[in-house]
Amino acid sequence: MTVRTRSRAFVLNVISSDHPGIVAQVTHEIRGMGGNIEACSQTVLGGFFTLIMIVRFQKDITQEALVGHLRGPESEHRGFQVTVLPARAGAPVRDTRDVETFVVTATGKDKPGVIMRFSQYLSDKDINIVDLYGDKKGDEFVLITQVEVPTHWSVDMIQADLEEMGREEGFDVRFQHENVFVATNQLRLPHHSEA
Amino acid sequence: MLRTDEILSTIQMLHSEHLDVRTVTLALNVDDCAAAGMGHLCRKLRDKIVSKAGRLVETCDRIGAKYGIPVTNKRLAISPVTHILAGHGRNTALEVAKTLDMAAADCGVDLVGGFTALVHAGMTQADANVMDSLPEVLSSTSRVCSSVNVASRKSGINMDAVARIGQVILDISEATADQKGFGCAKLVVFANIPEDNPFMAGAYMGEGQPEASINIGVSGPGVVCSALRRRIEMGGKLTLGDLAEEIKITSFRVTRVGELIGREVAAELGVPFGIVDLSLAPTPEIGDSVGEIIKTLGIAHIGAPGSTAAVAMLNDAVKKGGAFASSSVGGMSGLFIPVSEDSSLAQAVADGHLVLEKLEAMTCVCSVGLDMIAVPGDIPAETIAAIIADEMAIGVINNKTTAVRLIPVPGAKAGDFVEFGGLFGSATIMDVRNSGASTEFVRFGGRIPAPIQSLGN
Repeated sequence: MTVRTRSRAFVLNVISSDHPGIVAQVTHEIRGMGGNIEACSQTVLGGFFTLIMIVRFQKDITQEALVGHLRGPESEHRGFQVTVLPARAGAPVRDTRDVETFVVTATGKDKPGVIMRFSQYLSDKDINIVDLYGDKKGDEFVLITQVEVPTHWSVDMIQADLEEMGREEGFDVRFQHENVFVATNQLRLPHHSEA
Repeated sequence: MLRTDEILSTIQMLHSEHLDVRTVTLALNVDDCAAAGMGHLCRKLRDKIVSKAGRLVETCDRIGAKYGIPVTNKRLAISPVTHILAGHGRNTALEVAKTLDMAAADCGVDLVGGFTALVHAGMTQADANVMDSLPEVLSSTSRVCSSVNVASRKSGINMDAVARIGQVILDISEATADQKGFGCAKLVVFANIPEDNPFMAGAYMGEGQPEASINIGVSGPGVVCSALRRRIEMGGKLTLGDLAEEIKITSFRVTRVGELIGREVAAELGVPFGIVDLSLAPTPEIGDSVGEIIKTLGIAHIGAPGSTAAVAMLNDAVKKGGAFASSSVGGMSGLFIPVSEDSSLAQAVADGHLVLEKLEAMTCVCSVGLDMIAVPGDIPAETIAAIIADEMAIGVINNKTTAVRLIPVPGAKAGDFVEFGGLFGSATIMDVRNSGASTEFVRFGGRIPAPIQSLGN
């Protein structure tokens, strides 16, 4: 990473052990540097906090300066792991016109390599993962991914492939169009794909 | 973006609580199949059904797989067969029934409804032919279902038709004696028959409907029962109002699934989407029982005092959730209590907790009537007619659909056990008290006038 890149917009990622005040500290530093947050998302996983943000400043600044401010002075020991990349305008955005969103759920006895196997399959089919969740409870592992499937693929075939892969791995795998989850949980109407 | 807990709760409904779509019914107007010659009529009828419904099963299965939701039954409902039988005799009625049976088999659908006569204000010759052909039709076909509307809010109760159908039911029972009178399970006698009902045996395509449409019956009681149990297990102080709320939310979710599948099937088949019927329809499968819900609501013996109130609450909560979920609610949209098709209700009858009179009371506050009730084979036709008249009166006075599907079982007496098999389940023969004591009333015939409430304009 070339830390001296100058830019006005950055995507930044902060990882830390979870405790109250992280968002307050990070946003305080950004405000102090004249930055404005355009998008952000945070989650806590296994006691670890992670935050991703798109931030825009009024004038060019360096990645190094931004990372330095967020980590804070050596003496404060904030313990933040910070990564910053320039967020260039016009970054390629995937075309979502020819994809439909499906949900893959897999449950089974936990073992290493399961996510790798499924994600490799999805990657080979140019299926984009837009959300990924995994959780181990006892011996049981639950994997939920929301994926964008190009419409040229046959749903039956992908379903059959994933179920077969599940059988080989000892996982119960399901591949379902997102509309059923929208219909059963949300007040908004599902988009009817009236073929 | 969907939340993880939303995905997990739907997965639980789908795979642990057996959420399904109970029926996708293609309603089809066949009036244009009318022809002077019997052979020509039957050819047109068969061709039309196969061309319009040939893709129904495959389409439902494919769309069901896309969402991971099974479509349990795929069915056909045609416009009343009396329309195409006008001017024909009983032989044509039989041939048309056999044609329907074969066409349904060719399309892979298990039942076809619409062998129907609407006689609430009077009877045409075609209506009489259809009714009188029923013993032979229902004993010689396996997929054909029939319904007869003998009463309506606007017309009152046609007691001549009621008396006639009472005898027809006995004749069907005799004609299917080798199947323990099972032919009677394929005939429903209605007051205020709905024109868009997707559920069998009463589905037909009524007046004022388009050329074809897709009507949906939503998932059954299993999902509601599981949701209630889960809520109760969570503990805390719960009132019946809280439980009604839980039923409402579940009904919303179930209805949404039905409409999602229905609209997509309709679009693929190129026909308009009709309605979602919110009815909770039980099956003999363990855990898919309305009776279990009543027990979960704290009525230890179904039929005990409180049963009617519990059913009323359940029926209402289902409607409220469903009505918010869809703007296309129709059909019967209530709670079904078909005795033989619901293992807990059947058990309550066997245990002597649930009697005919209590069932009748429960039908005042739910859908659809005295349904799938096995009675002794020696019951007089007039008593069957009088039971029908009582149930019709509930429908006419309360401005709701009511129905009767009684199965007199030849040679059986109260307390005997009969097995119908499959979706139709099994039942203990129910005692009919005061049998034979209504003969004179029924023999008066004529019409019980429409109630004063029918003069609403």
